[in-house]
Amino acid sequence: MSENGKRKVKVSVNGLTKKFGDLLVLDDISFTVAEGELLCIVGPTGCGKTTFLNLLSRLIPPTRGNIMIDGEEADPKKHNISFVFQEPSCMPWRTVKENIAYGMEVKKVPRDELESRLKKIMDLVGLSDSADLYPNQISSSMEQRVAIARAFAVNPDLLLMDEPYGQLDVKLRYYLEDELVRIWRELKSTVIFVTHNIEEAVYLAERILVLSNKPTTVKAEVPVGLPRPRDFRDPEFVEIRKRVTDLIKWW
Amino acid sequence: MSDKPSSGNSKVLKILPYLSLLTVLAVWELIVDTGLVPNTLLATPAQVLKLFIYKLNHADPDGAVLIVHVLTSVGEALTGYILALLIGIPLGLLMGWFVVAEGLVRPIFEMIRPIPPVAWIPLAIFWFGIGLTGKAFIIWASGIVPCVINSFVGVRMTNPVYIRMARTYGASDWEIFRKICIPSALPMVFGGLQVALAASWTALVAAELIAADAGLGFLITMGRRLLMPDMIVLGMIMVGLTGVAIGIIIDRVEKRLVAGMRR
Repeated sequence: MSENGKRKVKVSVNGLTKKFGDLLVLDDISFTVAEGELLCIVGPTGCGKTTFLNLLSRLIPPTRGNIMIDGEEADPKKHNISFVFQEPSCMPWRTVKENIAYGMEVKKVPRDELESRLKKIMDLVGLSDSADLYPNQISSSMEQRVAIARAFAVNPDLLLMDEPYGQLDVKLRYYLEDELVRIWRELKSTVIFVTHNIEEAVYLAERILVLSNKPTTVKAEVPVGLPRPRDFRDPEFVEIRKRVTDLIKWW
Repeated sequence: MSDKPSSGNSKVLKILPYLSLLTVLAVWELIVDTGLVPNTLLATPAQVLKLFIYKLNHADPDGAVLIVHVLTSVGEALTGYILALLIGIPLGLLMGWFVVAEGLVRPIFEMIRPIPPVAWIPLAIFWFGIGLTGKAFIIWASGIVPCVINSFVGVRMTNPVYIRMARTYGASDWEIFRKICIPSALPMVFGGLQVALAASWTALVAAELIAADAGLGFLITMGRRLLMPDMIVLGMIMVGLTGVAIGIIIDRVEKRLVAGMRR
């Protein structure tokens, strides 16, 4: 974590442990995320990624350990935590615009502030033309962009993404990954992006955390210092991808 | 290529319903006119039509003109029905989201639910007599069941992703109920309105057959007492037509209210 020394710590996870009955799922996970960092988390299938995210978003309580945001215990009512789910999460009774505004409504963002943020984020994700359409009138990739716009719109302290592009085809994924990097750089949000796609992780992350099999711990930490835009065929890119792949393969 | 069941000449298709209706009426008229079925058991369409016109402005022999019977029935039905909606829908919605509401109400509801609403008629007569209140009570008892069940199921069927999403933004239980569960349940609730209407209307006619001094069910009963098959059939037809009319109105209201919710 040496290169994070210069950056302010935004989120720190300390000794996070979760047991379901006697089954130990997460075992003493500790790490920090710097302010404005894009951190990817990869791990073998069934390593408890979903449990891990549910703990981070405070949907379920940990058995032991804590999650601190800006030195305070994380709390969805106090902090702005956003979650982009793998499955579509647009409410069918709200238009694109109303869906994006939902998080800000819960956060009680004042009306004119809400409108101006709405406009900015919709321009950023290119949804301005579709503002008044309903979710059943747009494609599934657009639905996912609405969810992402909604997540960024609350100016999140912590943005959690659970394989948001897992169900999209490769071409769209490349496009949306670039878009994500663009929005993230523009808004400087702190992002934890969970994926099982190693290439995606290397393409996006400033740093990759590799999780082990159950009971899950942080197995390794791989910084990705490549310049952007990144190239999948760049030998250095391939090298990092191999390293992460080996880490997941051998335990 | 169309996705309709089969192709055909559209003009012919438009005529077909009228053709079948006319055929039924003609056969009906013929079997009574030829004496195949005695006229004392079944009235002809012509007799029913004649009585219909007569009843438009004659109160005898049953005591009220036709429109009074219709309005009496509609008034009773709407009173009970609206009360059923006002109580049943909020109750079902709350039961779907708040475990306390479900725990308190469900046992009582499950105990009362299997009793057919018609079984309440004798008690209703004891309590309220044969006026509007008693029948409104019967309608209420039969209409509230689908209202509660559909609202409850509608809330329960809310996609859990929306609820998790709202929670991560820090929405309170009440906010989630109001902004996520209720809109998500609305299509089910409106489905329940139609079911409740059908149940109410059936129960109303049954109640009027037993205890009433006006209304369409009463008209049918009087037809039996006065040995007037044409009056029985007229009553039946009016029950059907009025039911259809109310159904269409509810459908209109529903379309207007959920205009934005295209699914």
